[in-house]
This record gives sequence, C-alpha cells and structure tokens, in this order.
Amino acid sequence: MKHDLTLANINLYAVMRNLEDLCEMDSEMNELIKNQNLSIQMSVKNGPMGLIKFEEGKCQFKRGKHPATVKMYFKSPVHFNNMVDGKANPIILKGFTKVKFLTKDFMTLTDKLSYYLKPTEELLKDSKYTKINTTLTAYTAFFALAEIGNTDPLGKHNGSRIPNGNIAISVEDGPAICIEAKGGDLKATKGMPDNYRASMAFTDMKTAGDLLNGKIDSYSCIACKTLKLKGYIPMLDNMNKLLGQVPNYL
Amino acid sequence: MKTNNYQKSGELFNRALKVIPTGVYGHLGPAESCFIPVDAFPFFSTHAKGPYFWDVDGNRFIDYMCAYGPNILGYNDPDVDAAVKQQMEKGNCVTSPSFAMVEMAEKLVDTVEMADWAFFAKNGGDVTSFALMIAKAATGKKKTIMVKGGYHGVAPWTQKIGHPGIVEEDITNNIYVDWNDIDQLEKVILANKDEIACFISTPYHHPVFEDNQMPAKGYWKKVRKLCTDNNIVLAIDDVRCGFRLDMKGSDHYFGFEADLMCFCKALGNGWNFSAICGSEKFRDAASSVMYTGSYWMSAVPFAAGKATIDKLDRLNAPEYLSKLGKKLQDGLVSSGKKHGFDLKVSGHPSMWFMRITNDDSFMIHQEWVSECVKRGVFFTNHHNLFMNCAMTEEDVKFTHEVAEEAFKVVRLNHPEL
Repeated sequence: MKHDLTLANINLYAVMRNLEDLCEMDSEMNELIKNQNLSIQMSVKNGPMGLIKFEEGKCQFKRGKHPATVKMYFKSPVHFNNMVDGKANPIILKGFTKVKFLTKDFMTLTDKLSYYLKPTEELLKDSKYTKINTTLTAYTAFFALAEIGNTDPLGKHNGSRIPNGNIAISVEDGPAICIEAKGGDLKATKGMPDNYRASMAFTDMKTAGDLLNGKIDSYSCIACKTLKLKGYIPMLDNMNKLLGQVPNYL
Repeated sequence: MKTNNYQKSGELFNRALKVIPTGVYGHLGPAESCFIPVDAFPFFSTHAKGPYFWDVDGNRFIDYMCAYGPNILGYNDPDVDAAVKQQMEKGNCVTSPSFAMVEMAEKLVDTVEMADWAFFAKNGGDVTSFALMIAKAATGKKKTIMVKGGYHGVAPWTQKIGHPGIVEEDITNNIYVDWNDIDQLEKVILANKDEIACFISTPYHHPVFEDNQMPAKGYWKKVRKLCTDNNIVLAIDDVRCGFRLDMKGSDHYFGFEADLMCFCKALGNGWNFSAICGSEKFRDAASSVMYTGSYWMSAVPFAAGKATIDKLDRLNAPEYLSKLGKKLQDGLVSSGKKHGFDLKVSGHPSMWFMRITNDDSFMIHQEWVSECVKRGVFFTNHHNLFMNCAMTEEDVKFTHEVAEEAFKVVRLNHPEL
C-alpha cells in the first residue's frame, strides 16, 4: 500500500533528484540546460522540500529550503504526487517570468527521466541506454528505500532494525551509494563511503540492472557470485526488506 | 595446505536455480547461511559419516554446524541406523501407529526431568507453535511474551512485522522483552494483566550475529515465580540446546522447572521428529487442542530417537561435548591471539558462538571463517556452532592446524590491523 508522504518523499528525494545525473549522463539534456541559470524550490506542506538548481551547464539537487528564482508550493503530499503524475499543477509563488522554462524545457527533462526509468525490452538492447537506466534506477531505488525506511508505516519497522553504521552499495564501473543508518534514521548519499560496516557489491551493470528491473532475484545473484555481500549482514538483511518495498512505490 | 575447489557444486547449483526458488532455500542456502564469500563454500553434499561430510567435488569437511544441530552422535551412527533399519522392515507411516511412539514417549518422560507426558510432531516450529496453543487453551488468555532476537521457527507468529509474507495480525499478540531483563518482564506482565498466556524463550540467549548470553544469576527462578504468580505458562524452546547441555533438559541444567519443553534437532540424530514435553497440569490442555500431521506418528524416527537417547545417555554426551568443545575453543582463541586477532567465544562450549572482535563489521571474521572452510573445516560466521559425539581429539587437532593457517592468511591480507 502506498503511503502519501512516503511517495512524495520518494518523488522528490529519489526520483527528481536524478535530474542532476540525467543532465550529466545524457548529452541532449546537457545541451538543453547549458545556458540555463535558475533554481527551482519545491515545497510541499507537511512533506518534502528541495531545490533543483541549473547553473554553468550543471544541475544540482539539494534537500531542504534554499534561495531560489522559482518557488513552487504544494498544498499536501497528495497534491505534489498528483503533479508528478501530470494530474495537478503546482502553485507558483515566485518566478512567473520563468514559466516558459517550466512548461517546455523542464518538461523535456522530466519526460527524459521517465524514459530512462521506464525501460522496455527494446530499449534495454541499447548498451548506452542500459547504462543510464541502471545508474538512474539504482539511485532511485536506494534513495527510495531510505525514504521508505524513514516514513512508510511498515518500512519504519525494518528501517529501525538496521543497526547503526554505513552500508556501501556499489556497481562495478557504475554508481556507488552509501546508506547511513543512525538511530533508525536512514540517509542516502551518492558515492562510496570511506568506512562501512556492510557492503553490497554488484559485479556488473547488467546484474544491477536486471535485479532492479525485477528480472532476477537477489538470492540467485548472491549464489551466482554476481552480488557480493559482506560485513554485518543484519544491516543488509533489513535493508533488502526495504528494497523489496520499492516496487510498490515506483 | 591445499584449498578446495567447488566447480561441480557451482554447476549443480545452476541446475537447482532452474527448478527451486533460490536454488537452496532457507538456513542451508548460501544467502541465509551467510556464505561470505560464496565461492569459499560448497552447495551440496554427496555423503556424510561421523563428524564429516563430503561435497560433490570430493572435498571433506569437519562439520561444526552438524546440520544446524540434528547431528549429535555423528552422521550415520551405526547404533541409530541399525534401529532405523529394524523399524523400516516392520513399518513406518501406518494407519494404526506403531507402539514405538509410546516407547519413545516413555523414554522422554523417564529422561526429561519435568516431563509427565510427551507429544510428537516433525519440526521444532511445530512444537513451539503447539506450546502457544496449549498455553492459550490452558489459560484462556491470548498474548505471548518472547525475548528479542530469540528464534522459535518460521511460523508467522515467530516472524517480524515488515518481513515478506507477514501481516500485522500475525504478530498482534506478541510482546518482546530484552534477555535477562527481569524488571522489564515484570512491567510487561503488570501492563498486560490477565492477558498473557505464555512466556516462551530459549534456555540461554543464542541469537545470530551476537555474542550469546547465559542467564544472569537468579534469572530463571525469578521468571518461574513471575509466571506461576500470574498464571503464565513457561515454555522453554530447547530445540537447539536440548540434550547438548543436560540429558534431563536445559531447564534442569539452569535449575528451574518449565511447564512445557520443546525438543527437536538432537532428538533423533537427523531422523525427523520433534517433541513437546509437559507437566501434568497441562495434559488436559494439550489433549484439547486439535493438532496433528501426516507424518507425525511415523515409527522410524521414533526408533531412531530411542537409540539416540540411549546412546547419548551411555556416552554422557553433554559432558563429552562440553569438554571437547572447550578444548577446541581454547585452541582457536590462542591461535587467534598469536596472530593478533581477538576471537571472542560465548555461549555453551557444546554449541558455542565465536567472532573476531578486531572490527565491528564481522568482515575479518568472515574472511577467517572462509579460509577455514576452504581448508576443510566447516564453520559459519553468523550462527552458533555445534560439537558432536563423533568428533575426536584428532579432529580438534586438525581444526587447530587449519585455523592457524587461516589466521596467517588473514593476517597477511591485513597488514594494516
């Protein structure tokens, strides 16, 4: 069952934050934002807040409230989720002169994000597509699981059972993510942590992609040595239960 | 020392994956059994004898997991197997049960100090679940107190909310307390007055990935009194410890008397059955619950059980396991120390838990365990290990040699430590 706040958190903190990687990995999107210089603050009442900033040919996502050229307000997590589904519009508080960017270029960016996050068999035959798909899907899934562990009513049980410490998740020649667990709170960050108590390492992009796209199960990957676990396994065990909840949301 | 090759194991596992979810599921599978790294461990065995098993690639292992407990006399024990063969010729699963069932019950009633009766099923989880049903039938109450981190099988009530396949209603009547915390237990009982049917616990705390803990002085006597005073059934899950600590039951070992005792694992030296023993007070409640299974009264395991208990008694198994276990563990600890590793041993010597404490992640420990397995000593890194009566001083000596070399390898791999 989807929980509105968790879905809103995932939509902003796990899905939309991918725009920064999309703009780096996809040359067309990189071209599109090349000369943009603006920032969009999204604020959801009783929900997530974050800034998407376009500057010097790069896109950057930051959690929380920050100065911005465009301010979008949402009355509730449901309002925000409906906007993501294309069923509602944001309330613009600032940046009325930037509406053209929002309705044209920003839409192109989010459409391209959906293109990469919703693969088809045909698209996955293209290795370039697959690499971006796997990277963005991995970021989405692992950032999403942190949100599920923090706010989903069922997920909170598993999240709180993850002992304190860092979990390193990595894909050979691909992305790396750190999940930091502290007193039941989970925080996902990009990149390999310096110190970690447990590790989950995919030996190749294909395994990571197939697992995250639901084509293979993690138990089989472990046995086939394409997914290597080590360290304090109770951390990974509980994290995997959160990972299992991700498809309910995405 | 030569290290193992597992080529055939890998090939067969790929076959298994095609027809069985996860290839080998549950506690014997590479994921749940924490095979880290996977390529240090075998997936399938061909045969076993005494303290050893051989995998499909022909590698021999001294098996300190003992099939996760059932192997207490040694694999294919001649006395147990002779009793089994004799019973097989007579019959096994028959409409009218064999009298072997009654003889097995008599054996348990005469062996287990608290037992006035015995009832049989197949797995440990069958009898822990039955214990709860008996407690509910006897008291008319619905809640169960259990210790955090305790393991009582895989029935929905034993699992946790948030686990796949488990819904809130499965665990609604569970209350969890910390091991050894009498004050907490007292508060929980007070807060749920007249609602608690059962307190179920292992005789000492043996969770995975944690140092095992013995009961604090006076703990069980206080628990016993709280249960008696509040009409709560005290059920001991002796599935793992049973007959390894004390032939009379682990409650006897720790100086108290349980109302219900659950046994499995060592009961039949690998022949499949479990038992619950109870005091007279709960005979009626046990009789009133409809509880049965297709194979629960099969005669062959009872024949194995009688022979197993007789032999364990004859060998004074708990003492043998404890002494040999202590010798083994002392040698492992001292070998670790020599190479700069702090190997911490906890729990009972006959079924000890160990971990290298140089880091808090188990990574060094996992490396060391994997180096031992590659050289023919089967340990796991997450679970308590087991001794059995077929193990000898020679096996301990060989284990020490392997452990020593494994420590050397890990030391070489980690000059930074």
